Amino acid sequence: MGEILNGIDVEGLRNLLKEAERNPEAVAKLNRWSARVRWLGNGFTLRTYVRDHTFIVSEPQDVGGQDAGPNPVEYTLSALGACYAIGFIFNATKRGVRIRNLEIALEGEIDNILVFLGLSNQGYPGYKRVVAKAYIDAEADEETIKEIWEETVRTSPVGTTLERPVEIVPEVKVVR
Amino acid sequence: MSCVKTLGLFPVTVVGSWPRPTWLLKALRRKREGSISQEEFDAVADEAVLLAVKYQEDAGVDILSDGEQRRDNFYSFVADKIYGIELKTVAEIVDLVPDKSRFEFLLRSLDVPAYSIRSPVVTSKLRVGPRGIARDEASFLREHTSRLVKVPLPGPYLLTRSSWVPGVSDKYYQSREELGFEYARLLREEILALRDLGVFFVQLDEPVLTEVVYGVDQSQQTFMCAALFTRSNPRDELEFAVELVNEAVKGVSGIKTGVHVCRGNWSRREEALLKGDYVPLMPYLAEMKVDQLVLEFATPRAGDVEVLRDYIGDKELGYGVVNPRTDGVESPQEIMSRVDRILKFMDAKKVYLNPDCGFGTFAEAPVNTPRIAFRKLRSLRIAADELRRVYGER
Repeated sequence: MGEILNGIDVEGLRNLLKEAERNPEAVAKLNRWSARVRWLGNGFTLRTYVRDHTFIVSEPQDVGGQDAGPNPVEYTLSALGACYAIGFIFNATKRGVRIRNLEIALEGEIDNILVFLGLSNQGYPGYKRVVAKAYIDAEADEETIKEIWEETVRTSPVGTTLERPVEIVPEVKVVR
Repeated sequence: MSCVKTLGLFPVTVVGSWPRPTWLLKALRRKREGSISQEEFDAVADEAVLLAVKYQEDAGVDILSDGEQRRDNFYSFVADKIYGIELKTVAEIVDLVPDKSRFEFLLRSLDVPAYSIRSPVVTSKLRVGPRGIARDEASFLREHTSRLVKVPLPGPYLLTRSSWVPGVSDKYYQSREELGFEYARLLREEILALRDLGVFFVQLDEPVLTEVVYGVDQSQQTFMCAALFTRSNPRDELEFAVELVNEAVKGVSGIKTGVHVCRGNWSRREEALLKGDYVPLMPYLAEMKVDQLVLEFATPRAGDVEVLRDYIGDKELGYGVVNPRTDGVESPQEIMSRVDRILKFMDAKKVYLNPDCGFGTFAEAPVNTPRIAFRKLRSLRIAADELRRVYGER
């Protein structure tokens, strides 16, 4: 194994990029993702299955949940923050920049939660604004760090998903 | 056996299942939910069995079954019969095992939710309950028909493959092999008990053997969740299956034994089912010490009957000559021409006529209606009578 930077095998990362350039099939695999969410049969508690991982999704007690885990809109913020963080680590490593510390704080504001509750028709029940603030300490000048951050935001899969209209295809199948 | 004389050439029989009436399906669901007792369910199922028997008798079936009316499908019903097996949903199993991602492939390819697929899982030492695996079914059937009866049982390899879940089952059996031989022992005892009840023919269902050779990409084909844990090479699996079947029929006499192999029967969409001839299976099927191979040949997916020429030997053939999944009813002439082909290398005395598989393998997903199933059996009867006339024996 060659140089390790930010806990990542730099040579391995370069090889991965080379492989992605010349192997469309490998890229196609990275273009498709899946998850499954299953109700656990009691209240607002769900289990999500992603590859060999599972995690609990729930709701706080003040909205009638069991508070067994974060709720979906909190996961949305977490997914965005994690995506930015992973993107930053990737881009910094690619440039040979060592990261000492990295944290991203997120805050979102729902346009009108009353729509979700069925109590209003005004507006929509999704986030209208999300603030994602990165705190970064890395072995590079401020300009380079900001460039990496901008590149990260521009190329973030979750960030660009939230920023652009995405076609959602809701389907239902009754299976007794 | 005196009854053999009454059979004549080309006996007409079935593979097992018959479409369940809607009122039986309701009762099956209520029993599963625990809202009716076994006795209450049996009272409903008895009526359904009588209906299935009547259809078969009227069609002229020589060796009939109870239509598997009491079973939710051809193998998972054992959870009600053998202590130590629990019916678990994929949703339950996936929480018990580390290798969760395999299940996602299965669920997506079948387009079903995790809660809808139930599979028997070995969760303690096995012990057959007081009703036997199929003794209760056989007793009722024998009381209500004068025809010869056939009882299909899930084969030992099928049971092992479907119910062995590492992390759960290995607390009670050291290996999948140990579990397999336990199943074989229990099945042998059951076969002998069925013989003593007057059952003429016991058929071990091993449809997964085609999955072993053709379901390499199991995510596309499997219909049993625990099978996802079986990743040995096909040759080892087939040798294991032969060992288990031979162990299950070891020392058995006084009852006809058979093995049924098909390519899945859970959908009417032929493209959803496995495809491939019997070539890679025949050397192993030939090694099984059973009287009869019950094989599908009506579907083109099963390939050509010529494959039997070098392997059928002294065994009988339960010849699948009508497709249970189609609306079109095969004519007696079509059936006869299929039989003519097999008689180029087989003794007529060894040929039984049957559909490729059951008409309602899975209770909730029958592949045909009783009306069409009846007409297909009727066509078999007419063909058999004409064949007897042609081949000079009644």
